[in-house]
Amino acid sequence: MKKYIVYITVMVAVIAAFVVVLNFFPRSEYSELERRELTKRPEFSLEALKSGDYTKGISSWYSDTEPFRDEFMTLSMQVRAMRALQIGAEEEQVNYIAAEPDPELASSPSSVSPVGSNSEESVPPTLVGQGGEQSEAFEELVPEQDELTQDERAKITNNGIFIVGKAPNARAMMAYKGKAGGTSYARVVNTYQEKFTDVNIYCMVIPTAVEYYCPAKARSATLPESATIDTLYAHLLPSVRKVYLLPVMAAHKDEPIYLRTDHHWSPLGAFYAAQEFCRVARVHVPELSEFDEQVTHRFVGSMYGFSRDISIKQSPEDFIYYTPKDVTYTATYTVYDIDSAFQVIGEHRPRQGEFFHHFKDGSGLAYCTFMGGDTKIAKVETSTRNGRRVLILKDSFGNALPGYLFGSFEEVHVVDGRYFTKNMVDYVSQNGITDIVFANNVFKAYGGGRQYLRFLTQRGSGIYTPRPQPKDTTAQAEPDTTVAAPTDTLAVETKNGTVFAADSLNSETNHNEQTEKTE
Amino acid sequence: MVFSDLFFLFVFLPAVAICYLLAAWLDKSVLSKATSPESGLRTSFTARNSVLVVFSLIFYAWGEPVYVFLMLACVFLTYLSGRIIGAGGKYRKPGLVFGLICNIGILSIFKYASMLVQTLNHFGLDVPDPKISLPIGISFYVFQSISYLVDIYRGDSPVQKHFLRLLLYISMFPQLIAGPIVRYGRVAEELSNRHVSAQDMAEGMQRFLLGLGKKVILANQFSELATQFMGGFSESTATTAGAWIGVIGFSLQIYFDFSGYSDMAIGIGRCLGFHFNENFNHPYICDSITDFWRRWHISLCSFFRDYVYIPMGGNRRHQVLNICVVWFLTGLWHGADWTFAMWGLYFAAVVLFEKYVYLKIKPHIWKPFQHIYALMIIIIGRVLFYFDDLPTVGQFYRTLFGGAPSSDFVAEAAVLNNFWLWVVGIVCCLPLIDWSKQLLGKITGVDTAANNSITTAFQIVASIAVLVLSVALLVGATNNAFIYTRF
Repeated sequence: MKKYIVYITVMVAVIAAFVVVLNFFPRSEYSELERRELTKRPEFSLEALKSGDYTKGISSWYSDTEPFRDEFMTLSMQVRAMRALQIGAEEEQVNYIAAEPDPELASSPSSVSPVGSNSEESVPPTLVGQGGEQSEAFEELVPEQDELTQDERAKITNNGIFIVGKAPNARAMMAYKGKAGGTSYARVVNTYQEKFTDVNIYCMVIPTAVEYYCPAKARSATLPESATIDTLYAHLLPSVRKVYLLPVMAAHKDEPIYLRTDHHWSPLGAFYAAQEFCRVARVHVPELSEFDEQVTHRFVGSMYGFSRDISIKQSPEDFIYYTPKDVTYTATYTVYDIDSAFQVIGEHRPRQGEFFHHFKDGSGLAYCTFMGGDTKIAKVETSTRNGRRVLILKDSFGNALPGYLFGSFEEVHVVDGRYFTKNMVDYVSQNGITDIVFANNVFKAYGGGRQYLRFLTQRGSGIYTPRPQPKDTTAQAEPDTTVAAPTDTLAVETKNGTVFAADSLNSETNHNEQTEKTE
Repeated sequence: MVFSDLFFLFVFLPAVAICYLLAAWLDKSVLSKATSPESGLRTSFTARNSVLVVFSLIFYAWGEPVYVFLMLACVFLTYLSGRIIGAGGKYRKPGLVFGLICNIGILSIFKYASMLVQTLNHFGLDVPDPKISLPIGISFYVFQSISYLVDIYRGDSPVQKHFLRLLLYISMFPQLIAGPIVRYGRVAEELSNRHVSAQDMAEGMQRFLLGLGKKVILANQFSELATQFMGGFSESTATTAGAWIGVIGFSLQIYFDFSGYSDMAIGIGRCLGFHFNENFNHPYICDSITDFWRRWHISLCSFFRDYVYIPMGGNRRHQVLNICVVWFLTGLWHGADWTFAMWGLYFAAVVLFEKYVYLKIKPHIWKPFQHIYALMIIIIGRVLFYFDDLPTVGQFYRTLFGGAPSSDFVAEAAVLNNFWLWVVGIVCCLPLIDWSKQLLGKITGVDTAANNSITTAFQIVASIAVLVLSVALLVGATNNAFIYTRF
């Protein structure tokens, strides 16, 4: 009898403590760990109550905004990390295989020739720079296949993220599940080329880390991004200028061109891409010596929240970025307000601001250094005079590019594919744009990028117009949500067919949202 | 609402506890009255029962704000039929028939209409699909209603004259949406008079936390593995090792998920003074499928045994037919899909095989082989349980039995990166608690001071650990629904 009383007393006290903490302590509103605003308490309405959305909303709000959420989550990750067998892991060898276009794939006709397309004017993949600037043969650009061998281990989390190595040097990357594809993105770029006959149109599809750092034994669990990129480039009109990054990145893969703990590339990787772009655009090609190095130490990026793997948290890295030395420039922003569903709900007046926002050491938001995020139009006027004005149509990968172009263009405009309410034709003519570059990562390109087509026809006058109701938006505006949610930077179809979507970094007010979608 | 939801654990349950204690005080000090001198003071349970009913309806409406009225209608019709049966004489049979038609009718319309229409359309007819979504837990509460009607018809239990008590029996939130299917006779007495001892309370809490741990710590993790290898299954990327990992992971997931739910239900019931029937008895240590079905979802199996198999003639007449019918229905009960019916018939075939062959030669088979045989049959059957279309089932079986590359990095990683999860999961299928109690009893002697303090200390530490871990693992959990709530 006494033993029951003791048990009951202790447990009731413990449970009561939990009840008090979880109900009466301040609720969490923002997760440092996952870098997102937490769920808001749902608004009450009879409709919502009837459909069950209200009660569902209360439940998910309650569990999402738990007090001490990040502490609990860290604990749960530590526990989950204990599941793995650690013995002998140290001796395991991992072979990195640099991604070059797979010889097998390159020769197999199905991966290069238009897949499922009835267009007869398909062009073979153009692997060289544009405009007669016949660069060396492709093979010479690519270094000999050399395998980096590291005394490190590799694993795959249950939601399909590869973790290579161990703390403090672990690297996380998302598996790529796109088949050849990419043709609808090519059509989007071609449409721009047809629309803007006197503007140079460039296509830069940005490969991600898994293309270069995929452990050899994990190769069966991911698909080569080169297949998508090559098919996509093969479908571009000949007049579209191709910024073909695969060999460029491969040449530098021994350098830290991708962030280890974030789904983005590093500013250094973007630098090499910017060089390649300038070469193709035949403007001044920047050198690293023209920039000052800045560092945010102890950066741990988005992959921690995605993988929920403790080894990523224990592997902070330096976020090194580069600011131009000898150019003067002013950045003007038109900032959008967005709601929790990433719909634009407001637009601010253009205002001047810093281009580079330095984040303090240890901040997980360092990738927002460039322009402070995505939900804005940026216009940078530089001291360069050459009559060239470039517009970058980008996802968050593209954010790292413009900083290198101030010495090469008079004006650099940056528009995010998700947040733009103006009419693109008007915007281009009003601003005297001479070059438009599509700079999106391969996940985004695989998703189709059809929202860029809407920019051509939407009636935005520069003044804020409310977006159509969400229902209409899903019907016409975001046809590629099956592959990439409208807000995604990386959307991965995992082995089980669920979409794992990583969002990019958002504005400073919203910080950056990340969504994990499981169906 | 589900049990493994933070809102349920830390808002709903505490609210129930506080209101229930207030109601108990109200019952004892205000509502109780001496009925007759010899029986003494009769304690009222009206306030307590009302509190439970109100919270149960909130609990149900939380997930099904509209269908809660369907459940109320079902209970009302059952109550009405019960009263008709209670009128006795020539009304008994019509009352029962009326009640059964209502209940089975509701179940057919809301659970099987779509399946029927699709099947008809498959054979060339063009019937519009009514697109009725399945109300949560309908299979459970309809079966409880049927159990009530048949029991009072047979005279095993008295007719319930209080609507509130019948409503409480059917809608009681611990067992409302995923069982166990509580027989009316089991709790009839406790609806109007129950007592909670310190032992009930302590063991109820332990049982609840045990179930919570099974669900949150084990089932939710295994569901990741099951989804990884079975969700969106595609033969082109699958490997044999991966398929086995997936289906074994799913087998473990479904056991911990469902038995965890039953534990939580039984635990809450104990804390409220109800003694629900057990639903699981370590099914994965079975040595035959016949044995397995005496250990798995016991409340459902005994329902079919008592209300279908035996009335049909049991082992006295056309036993083979009876077995097939019972298993066909058991399969269909799990879901309105022909793969579930096939799953049921698969077990009918196995049970018949065991009856005529296996059980006769079983004594000559080496013990470990008996277990391996039984587990293989169960695991292979899970494939039918998981997929709802036959082509995928076929592809999955091909993959399981060698029609694919043997293994890859992903499969290897699923084993190595979850190694301790596999170990703990498999070990937890064994009756560990019973064994350790016996062992401790041998060392310290039963019910000695040492035994009691060691047990209590261990129980407290384990309970707190489960609680803390579950809260941590439930933050931001996405795959948290119970499998059996959709049946």
